Amino acid sequence: MRQGGVFAAGAAFLIVAGGFVLVSAAGQRAQAKELAPLDTKGDASVRPWKRYDKWPKRDESKFNTLAKISSPPAPKEPRKLSGPIKGDPANGAKLVANRKRGGSCLACHVMGPAGGANLPGNVGPDLSEIGNAKLTDEFLFNYIYDPRVYNAETVMPPWGSHGLFNDQEINDMVAFLKTLKSPAVFKTALDNPEKRPAPVEKRANLDPMENPGMWTIDKAKELWTKTGSTGKSCASCHSNPAAQFKAWASSMPKWEPRLNKVLGVEEFITRHARATTGANYLMETDDNRVLSVYLHNLAEGQPIKVDVSSAAAKAAYKRGEALANRKLGQLNFACTDCHGKSANHWIRGQWLGALKGQYDHFPTWRTSQLVIWDIRQRFQWCQVNIRADELPPDAKEYGDLELYLAAQNGGLKENVPGIRH
Amino acid sequence: MAATPRLKLPSQAKKGDIIEIKTLLPHPMESGQRKGKDGKPIPRKIINKFVCTFNGKPVFTADLEPAVAANPYMEFFAKVEESGTFKFTWTDDDGTVTTAEQKITVT
Amino acid sequence: MRPISRRRALALGAGSAAVAALAWSGNAKATPKDAAEAIAKFTGDKTAEKGKISIELPEIAENGNTVPLKVSVDAPMQADNYVSDILVIADGNPLPRVVTFRFTPMSGKAVASTRIRLATTENIIAVAKTTGGQVFTGQKLVKVTIGGCGG
Repeated sequence: MRQGGVFAAGAAFLIVAGGFVLVSAAGQRAQAKELAPLDTKGDASVRPWKRYDKWPKRDESKFNTLAKISSPPAPKEPRKLSGPIKGDPANGAKLVANRKRGGSCLACHVMGPAGGANLPGNVGPDLSEIGNAKLTDEFLFNYIYDPRVYNAETVMPPWGSHGLFNDQEINDMVAFLKTLKSPAVFKTALDNPEKRPAPVEKRANLDPMENPGMWTIDKAKELWTKTGSTGKSCASCHSNPAAQFKAWASSMPKWEPRLNKVLGVEEFITRHARATTGANYLMETDDNRVLSVYLHNLAEGQPIKVDVSSAAAKAAYKRGEALANRKLGQLNFACTDCHGKSANHWIRGQWLGALKGQYDHFPTWRTSQLVIWDIRQRFQWCQVNIRADELPPDAKEYGDLELYLAAQNGGLKENVPGIRH
Repeated sequence: MAATPRLKLPSQAKKGDIIEIKTLLPHPMESGQRKGKDGKPIPRKIINKFVCTFNGKPVFTADLEPAVAANPYMEFFAKVEESGTFKFTWTDDDGTVTTAEQKITVT
Repeated sequence: MRPISRRRALALGAGSAAVAALAWSGNAKATPKDAAEAIAKFTGDKTAEKGKISIELPEIAENGNTVPLKVSVDAPMQADNYVSDILVIADGNPLPRVVTFRFTPMSGKAVASTRIRLATTENIIAVAKTTGGQVFTGQKLVKVTIGGCGG
């Protein structure tokens, strides 16, 4: 973080410590468009960042995050087994269906009668007849233990080498696999992922009768005229937000040279409010979310178009792309594993969409949580759910990732607030 | 501190029309099944009754149980023969009553 | 004391974070007997006729928190014979009764919609009665989906 005042070339503002004072620079020189004042000193979210209370409390520091590489390297060779496997197929049948063990195998595979063939997924091949395939115990064991020794491009987690299952449990699962010799019998057509129709989101998300997310807009309008400690409100400078911000949110996130990072709407709100009205709308607080919904909603229908033309933005995009492809956490998933390689498949009962389509509706109302989530909280949850430690919402890595994601969604129309599960 | 009900119904209609009415009251509908941080159940507190009248006469009523989702939404129909006022009433377990009204001109 | 039923896979694609938001968290569920009792109480033990009552619900619900429901009875609403009540039952919820819609001739149609909570994959049963003494019933299975990533 920069200390003290900042001069941006061609800018008209001097931003001093605390960001409360705006002083027009001495030069009346011809300048580019005025830059919005931003607090560049503090953090934009709570420090120390504490994981949400109701999220799993696992410490996954042993594995990669978007900020660091720490996962153990893939083994170079399959493990040699001393003899045939001794496993309990009944226990194996339970383990493959156990959602508490990182999703379970059924998240990605149909496996005959396992889990009652209740909404299995189809990211991976149907294993219902694998018992007929004459595969060796050693192959089956190692495929579960760490499939990277056979397929460097796999999206399947390294269940053994990342400590999700121990050797005996893997033996039990192998023993179960060897019993699978006939196609799964589904109770209903919906249970068969090959026959299940892809979900189509049809809800009227801008209807306040349908989407409680819309109620935040009334609250945002109240905040807009609320004066902060400086005696100013948003309205003091922005008396006509509907006109002024008609296409603003659709151009975000942006590379911000004063902070040397990509700035998204939520972080912008925090830093800009601090530097103007004095309000401290930290990221992932209710007020911040409400304003983010409002500002995105003002750009309703505008095509998303982020700037990746500058050298710095191009570099951020490249970093974001690399991060989207980095394997994270104990389950060893990259964003692109699910939203690229496995897009348009089912994980258990949930449909995986491609990167394009995962951004235009954020912030969104979540019917399962009964709250608004912004994109940074969505990133955080994805990480925690795949057993990777999350970063604070204003982490620069999230900015890079968001810029990359927004670029993949170029041309899609802003449609906020969304309504989703 | 009652929440503001939301209503969607036409302000005009022809005699004999069957109009569609949509209503929603922001309300958590605490079911009594959830457990708090201390492990103890959070007490039930729901809207248990919804009444729609027209010019004082009952049109549609619903008895709600905890399985009605938060922000209870009710959509139903009414046959209008004359101009008048629809009145909507929501009753909370704790006795609080929230009301809303809307006039309709019927020609 | 009813034993706590094995917690079914609820729509927890968002993992355990969804638990606090869901109305039901692994509590004992109603038995088929409870559902039958609630229905018998409503119909006065009259036999219900199938058909005539339609239930609109998604086949798969993303989560059990808010599932749109519409019930309609194909029957006239005349002053001398109209659908007076429709009872909605969820046979896998902790308590079977969901909502009772009550109509008058001024309703025009015996149609109503709301949003309901489902604890698990279960049957929604609707029972309607008319002032003329008829009873209709219908049923639909709703699958509450299972989230992908597990808890």
